[in-house]
Amino acid sequence: MTGRTDRPADYLVERDMKPIKWLCLGLIIAAAPSQAQNVFPAEQVEQGRYLARAGDCVACHTAPGGKEFAGGLGIDTPIGRIYSTNISPDPKNGIGAYSFADFDKALRQGIAKDGHALYPAMPYPSYTMVSDADAKALYAYFMSGVEAVDAPNRSSDIPWPLSMRWPLRIWGRLYGQTQPFQAVSAHDAAWNRGAYLVEGLGHCGSCHTPRGIGFQEKAMRPGDGGDYLAGARIDGWFAKSLRGEQASGLGAWTEADIVQFLKTGRTSRSAVFASMAEVVGHSTQYLSEEDLSSIARFLKSLPPSDGTTPVVTAPGTAFEALRDGDYHQPGAASYVEFCAACHRLDGNGAAKIYPALAGNSVVGSNDPTSLIRIVLAGGRMPSTAAEPRGLAMPALNRLTDQDVAEILSFVRSAWGNRAPAVTADQIAKVRDTLEHR
Amino acid sequence: MRSILSLAIAGLIGGGLLSAAAHGGEVEAPAHPFAAPRDADIAKQPNAVDILLGKRLLSDTKHLLPDNVGDGLNCTSCHLGEGKVALASPFVAVSTNFPQYAARAGREINLAERINGCFLRSMNGKPVPPGSPEMKAMIAYFEWLSSGLPTKTKIDGRGVGKIDASLVPDPAKGKAVYDGKCASCHGQDGEGVKDARGEFIFPPLWGEQSFNIGAGMARTYTAAAFVKNNMPVAWGLNAPLGQGGALTDQEAVDVAEYFTHQSRPDFAPKVKDWPNGGKPKDARY
Repeated sequence: MTGRTDRPADYLVERDMKPIKWLCLGLIIAAAPSQAQNVFPAEQVEQGRYLARAGDCVACHTAPGGKEFAGGLGIDTPIGRIYSTNISPDPKNGIGAYSFADFDKALRQGIAKDGHALYPAMPYPSYTMVSDADAKALYAYFMSGVEAVDAPNRSSDIPWPLSMRWPLRIWGRLYGQTQPFQAVSAHDAAWNRGAYLVEGLGHCGSCHTPRGIGFQEKAMRPGDGGDYLAGARIDGWFAKSLRGEQASGLGAWTEADIVQFLKTGRTSRSAVFASMAEVVGHSTQYLSEEDLSSIARFLKSLPPSDGTTPVVTAPGTAFEALRDGDYHQPGAASYVEFCAACHRLDGNGAAKIYPALAGNSVVGSNDPTSLIRIVLAGGRMPSTAAEPRGLAMPALNRLTDQDVAEILSFVRSAWGNRAPAVTADQIAKVRDTLEHR
Repeated sequence: MRSILSLAIAGLIGGGLLSAAAHGGEVEAPAHPFAAPRDADIAKQPNAVDILLGKRLLSDTKHLLPDNVGDGLNCTSCHLGEGKVALASPFVAVSTNFPQYAARAGREINLAERINGCFLRSMNGKPVPPGSPEMKAMIAYFEWLSSGLPTKTKIDGRGVGKIDASLVPDPAKGKAVYDGKCASCHGQDGEGVKDARGEFIFPPLWGEQSFNIGAGMARTYTAAAFVKNNMPVAWGLNAPLGQGGALTDQEAVDVAEYFTHQSRPDFAPKVKDWPNGGKPKDARY
């Protein structure tokens, strides 16, 4: 069963018009080469290429090892696995037959050319904020800057009746009607540019904003309240808060840190991992210094979601104790044995090579999911133009749940860190999800 | 089918015996699987204080034994991860093999003498007195790591592994490998990287703060095997350190030739080495 069954009228019309449709298709195929060379100004295509990177379209619309924008990446949703679609300009399987109006409707309203509603895995509620000019540039790029790939789309693994698409229309009316981007006059141009990129094409909230009962992002912009970019669990990770909390958010980060992180995938204190490593590798490393600075300016303006004033804690005495061989704290001996070779007795690691654990906002997050997962499964930094070496954290899954719980509880309380302890049960749960993936 | 398999197995075993005989070596018992006890168990040992001190001396050597370490290294600069990492010159099952005949010394040496070989050469420093509490502590750590292992145990992952010594090194290519893959941690001029306290995070590979020409690591093929199996740390997802696997054998030989032959401290007593012959072809003198 496909989603078409809920739209019998559309289906009949399509069937009736088949010969004409095939004729049109033939014309489009014949016209495609000249269109590619003539219709769009080169600068507009290049602008579209840049914006497609800002939107990280390639990350979801490319299967592992597949051709760019040919789709086929499996995306798990609460009701089953869906597959991203071919958005290359192939007229049969891609979007080559889309007019700008068709493209725009998919991009900013979540409705495909044939009228079916897109799953909101496509972050169109964010893309609604994309400007008309940018939408046109994206269209120009996808029509003439991308290689057409004749790869058919794959239908979802979602069983009927959940596979019916009409409820998505209701979802779209309830949650997908984001207002177009509105500049905030109280802030300068740089802040507004950052807001435009983060709220819109960057769709940062897709991972970093908690979701409500309808699986909708609880907030789409700063004005919607403290949930915006406050950190959320997604796909077995915890995407950290991008707000001003000192221990778990970006409170301890400077704007320059954020720019360097997005440009290179690492700073003197931290390193990117998990899905964000792909975001840096595919998307943010290509953004201009100016745009990255604007993003940093915007993010640094978000206050802590809990309303607390940032507190800088004292560095503590863990380094001195470990150096003196005082391992009385549970987890201390194991930290020295399994972690300190890289992260060091002082928890400071090595700049741009081994991330610091002291003051690390992933270590300091109340939700330890990401911390547990990276210890059990390891992780890798992306190779970027600025920092080509994609160094890795080894998978320490041979340690017991109790070992990992003690080590992480130690790390979360040492060197001035003040995050809650982690239990062996929490480790077991993450291990279980990893083993059943 | 079964008879073909049996023949093949017999052939393999026979080939192994022949090759062992060809090298004049004894037929070795199968190696013991690599395993090391956990630090958390040290506290349960009757000599826990010595074992723990020994572990710290071997890991934080420059800080704790400044009079004995003449360069910028710790023992764990080469014996990675507290001497518990296979093919990273582990300390596991070392004490069970001492005393042993050492060709370099031309006589049988004990474990304290072997450890002091490192202090004199790799640390470019002074020996730790054999009866001192520090030496006793280091030996206690070695012995704890070999708890329960019989004398002469050969363990999997001992030493730094092997590399094809017939590969001809190309130091020019080695410099390219070094600049591209090593310099970000070990420094453009092999000077290492220090932390805010002025202590080395990444050890210097040449110059006054590095090992002298008498060290095992100054030999091209020893260094190449070490580099191949262990560098860089944090390269892969493999436990315990994500170590090794970044270079081909040829690249490892090239880069080892390059960095071992940079300027480094001399070792005056080198003239007494290998008194009975047997000097390896990659010795620096």
